[in-house]
Amino acid sequence: MDEKEARLVELVLGGRAEAFEPLITPYRKLLLTLAYRLSRNIEEAKEISQETLMRAFRYLGSFDRKRSFKNWLLQIEMNVWRTLGARAVDEGTLRELAATTTPEDPEERLAGKEAREKLFSCLDGLSPREREVFLLRDIEGRSVKETAEVLRISEISVRVHLSRARVKIKELAKTRFPGLAEGWK
Amino acid sequence: MNCSRVRKFLPLYAGADLSARKARRLEKHLVRCTNCRREIEEFRAVLAGIRAVSSKDTLDWPEGEWKGLMARIRSVKQGPRPVSPFAPIPKKAWAYGFAIVLVLGIAALILKTILSPPATPLLTEVMMPTTAQPSRALRADETSSARYPQDLPFRVYERREGPDRVLLAAVPAPDKTTQNMMSMILVSQETGLKVHWTFNRNFDWKEKKK
Repeated sequence: MDEKEARLVELVLGGRAEAFEPLITPYRKLLLTLAYRLSRNIEEAKEISQETLMRAFRYLGSFDRKRSFKNWLLQIEMNVWRTLGARAVDEGTLRELAATTTPEDPEERLAGKEAREKLFSCLDGLSPREREVFLLRDIEGRSVKETAEVLRISEISVRVHLSRARVKIKELAKTRFPGLAEGWK
Repeated sequence: MNCSRVRKFLPLYAGADLSARKARRLEKHLVRCTNCRREIEEFRAVLAGIRAVSSKDTLDWPEGEWKGLMARIRSVKQGPRPVSPFAPIPKKAWAYGFAIVLVLGIAALILKTILSPPATPLLTEVMMPTTAQPSRALRADETSSARYPQDLPFRVYERREGPDRVLLAAVPAPDKTTQNMMSMILVSQETGLKVHWTFNRNFDWKEKKK
């Protein structure tokens, strides 16, 4: 946790609740996007993200300053996702691909939609645990150790699920998107 | 490493998640195996593609909803700050706990050893084997005719259990009350083992102090 975040945490804990917004703003996109990739439903993603922020504010006093604030938020979000998001998933209704805020440029909007289609198409083939590990490690760029901490599982378990997830993703991508990396970039 | 073993590690190697030692062994194989090289290139291309897609695709809150959410959060009551006498709590608390339990266990074991009386050893004395032959065992008819001294502090009773078996039993002599202890020394002719036994008048075994 950097000095600025530490100062903001102190302010919030000292009763200055308005300091929570600048503390959390750098992570607002990250939390919403991750929740959306997990749930694949924008309303549910908002619900998960909102509950994450509520809990972060409520339990900020228990946050260990030696840890990464970002990882702490991700850990809360994963817990919320498991509690709220583990509902029966109807693939038909969850394919809600309209973003809350979409780019103004129609071409850009279309590119974003296609990109999301491709990403979800591959994530669909993963088990919930594989998806969590894959999103944290390969999409959010957390290390294996950080992923293990966030999900509260062992590093060995992270490696096992990560390996399986990458094999599945590669096979799905090969069959569904023969253009592979060239076309995606 | 052969191809089938390398294939197991390729997904992790593609994302640089393999240990340095395994990665070096795998790289040696990749230098000479075209198929595995192609496989690793596919993994890398897919991962790069996925990352490129995800970087384009981020969502954000509409400003109005975000402001409303922040206002709601400000009205939430915060939980109490944790107060711990041991703050900050060590990261590996389980390791400290295990160490404390281990130390206490060892201390308890040492105390028990110090406080408990020493185990009573069976008093034995090993004698040098003698050249003498083993004593001849009494026959049943000899046993029945054997005479025992009458000035002993106990009486010996015999009961015939079979044609070749006689059971001898000893009880304190009622008229010999002056002696309360009796010592017996058993010597093995074959091994030279000598065992001292001390009995009280009820024939309960007692340790003999040397």
